[in-house]
Amino acid sequence: MTAAPHLAPSALHTPGRRRRPLAVARMQLINLPVQLGMPWLILALAFAINLVIFALVPDPPAGEPKVTGGLLSIYIFVVVAHLVTMTQVFPFALGLSVTRRDFFTGTALFVLAQAAVQGLLLTLLLVLEEATGGWGMGLHFFGVPFLVQQNWVLQWLVYTVPFLLFSFVSILAGTIYKRFGQLGMWTASIGLLLAGGIAAVLLTWQQAWPAVGRFFSDTPAAVLFAGYPAVLAALAAGVAYLFLRRATV
Amino acid sequence: MTAVRMRGVVKRYGGFTALDDVNLELRENTVHGLLGRNGAGKTTIMQILTGQGFETAGEVEVFGLHPYENPTVLDRVCFIREAQKYPDSFRVRDALSAAAMLYPNWDADLAASLVEEFHLRTRQTIKKLSRGQLSAVGVIIGLASRAPLTFFDEPYLGLDAVARQLFYDRLLTDYAAHPRTIVLSTHLIDEVSDLIEHVVVIDKGRILMDEDADVLRGRAVTVTGPAAAVKAFAAGHTELHREELGGFLRVTLEGADPDTRLRSEGLEFEPVSLQQLVVRTTQLATEPRRENHDGREVAAR
Repeated sequence: MTAAPHLAPSALHTPGRRRRPLAVARMQLINLPVQLGMPWLILALAFAINLVIFALVPDPPAGEPKVTGGLLSIYIFVVVAHLVTMTQVFPFALGLSVTRRDFFTGTALFVLAQAAVQGLLLTLLLVLEEATGGWGMGLHFFGVPFLVQQNWVLQWLVYTVPFLLFSFVSILAGTIYKRFGQLGMWTASIGLLLAGGIAAVLLTWQQAWPAVGRFFSDTPAAVLFAGYPAVLAALAAGVAYLFLRRATV
Repeated sequence: MTAVRMRGVVKRYGGFTALDDVNLELRENTVHGLLGRNGAGKTTIMQILTGQGFETAGEVEVFGLHPYENPTVLDRVCFIREAQKYPDSFRVRDALSAAAMLYPNWDADLAASLVEEFHLRTRQTIKKLSRGQLSAVGVIIGLASRAPLTFFDEPYLGLDAVARQLFYDRLLTDYAAHPRTIVLSTHLIDEVSDLIEHVVVIDKGRILMDEDADVLRGRAVTVTGPAAAVKAFAAGHTELHREELGGFLRVTLEGADPDTRLRSEGLEFEPVSLQQLVVRTTQLATEPRRENHDGREVAAR
C-alpha cells in the first residue's frame, strides 16, 4: 500500500470558480448527441426526402428554381433543445450549486458556439450544393434563394444569427415558465397575440401594409437575417437573464 | 466556528408563512439533524441557505456571507434534495461527471466505489431508474462532493434498509476522515440518532428544539407503574405524554431523573429515544392543553 492515499483533493485542485461557466457549457456537451446529433440527423432526413421527391417530380417550368423549406427544421430544433435547457438542465445545475449567473453565462457560451458551428456547416454545405449544381438536379436545399449572399462571411452570418435568435427566444420562454409558471406563459402568449393583433389593426387602418412589404423587400437580406435578429437575440437574452436572477426550481 | 447563521428569518408564500422568525446557528464540522413534520419548513430553510430560495426578511449567513448568487459560498455547499431533477437524457455517469466538474473537492474513487456498492450501472439512463436507485445517485453525489457544507434532504426515499445502512455507514466513515458540516433532514430519526451530534426540530416554521444530541438523550424518561405512584413521581415535572390503561399509568417526563429506589413501588423507568422525544415535543407544541388533562387520555393508538 502506498502511504497517504487520502491526500486532501482540495489541496490539489484550485476551486473552479472561474471555470464554472465552462463547466455548464460542458454539461450541455454531455448532451451532444441530442444537441447536435439529432438536429443534423433530422436535417439529413429532410434532405434525403427532398432529393427523392425532386428526382421523381417533373422539372418545373424553365426559370423557376427548385426550392424547399427543409432547412427550417434545424432552426426549429434549437427551440426545442433550449426549452429543455431551461426546464431540465437549469434545475439540475442549480441543484449542483451553480449560480444563476454562471448558468446563464455558460449556456450563452454554448449557444454562441453551437450557432457558429452549425452556421459554418450550413455554409460548407451550400458551397457543396453550388459546386455540384444543386446535387446534380438544380435543387436549392441549403441555398434558399433569398438567403444566398455573395460574400462567405455574410453567408455564415445569415445562417448563424437566426440560430442565436431562435435559441435565446426559446431560453426566454423557458425562463418565463421557470420564473412565473404556467400563468406567466399564458400572460406572455396572450400579450404577444394582443400586441400582434393591435399592430395588424393599426397597419390596416393606416393602410400601411405596402410599406411593410417594401420594408421586407428593400432591406438587404444580410440586415434582415443577421442584423435585426442579432439585436432581437441580444434583447431576448438580456430579458431572460433579468428574469432568471430570481427564478427558483 | 459557525457554518450557518440565520437571524429573524421569515419566509412568506403569499399569505402562507413558511418560516416564522427563525434563529439558528450551525457549528462547523458537526452532523446536524434537521427534524420536523412534512411541511414544517425544513426544505425551505435549506433552499434559502443554498441560495435557491429567497428569504422574505431576516439575515442569512453561510460561512460569513450571504449565499445568494455567491460562488465563493456555493463552491463549498452541496444540497441533495429528495426531488433533485436530472435532464431526461442523462445517464448515471453523465450526472456524476457533471458533479465532478462542479465540486472542487470531488473524489472520483469514492464515487466509483459507491456506485458499485449501491449496485448502479453508470450507463443506465437516470429517467429509467427506480426511486431507490434515483436516491442512490443523489447520495453518491452528496458524499463524493466532499463539500464543507453538505445538506441531505430526505435522501433515502425508496432506499431499502440495507442501502440506507450503507449510506449511514459511508457517511460516518467519510465524515471521520474528512470532517465537514453535514445537515441531515429526515423522518427516520431512530435510524440516524447515533449519527446526529446536534438536533434542530422545526414545526410550523418555528424552531422548537435546538440542542446537542447528548443533552437530549438524558432529557426525558418514561415511567410506568401504578397510577398513584407514577402521579406522585411525576409531580413538578413537565409531562410530555401520558397513556393510561386500567390502573396503570405511563408518562414521559422531561427533566426527571430515574430513581431506582422506587422500583419497590412498582415503578419502571425507560430511556426515551430521540425519535420519541421529538414526536412528543412536537405533539405538545401542537396541542398545549394536553398536559393539563388528567386521566382522560386513552392509550395513544
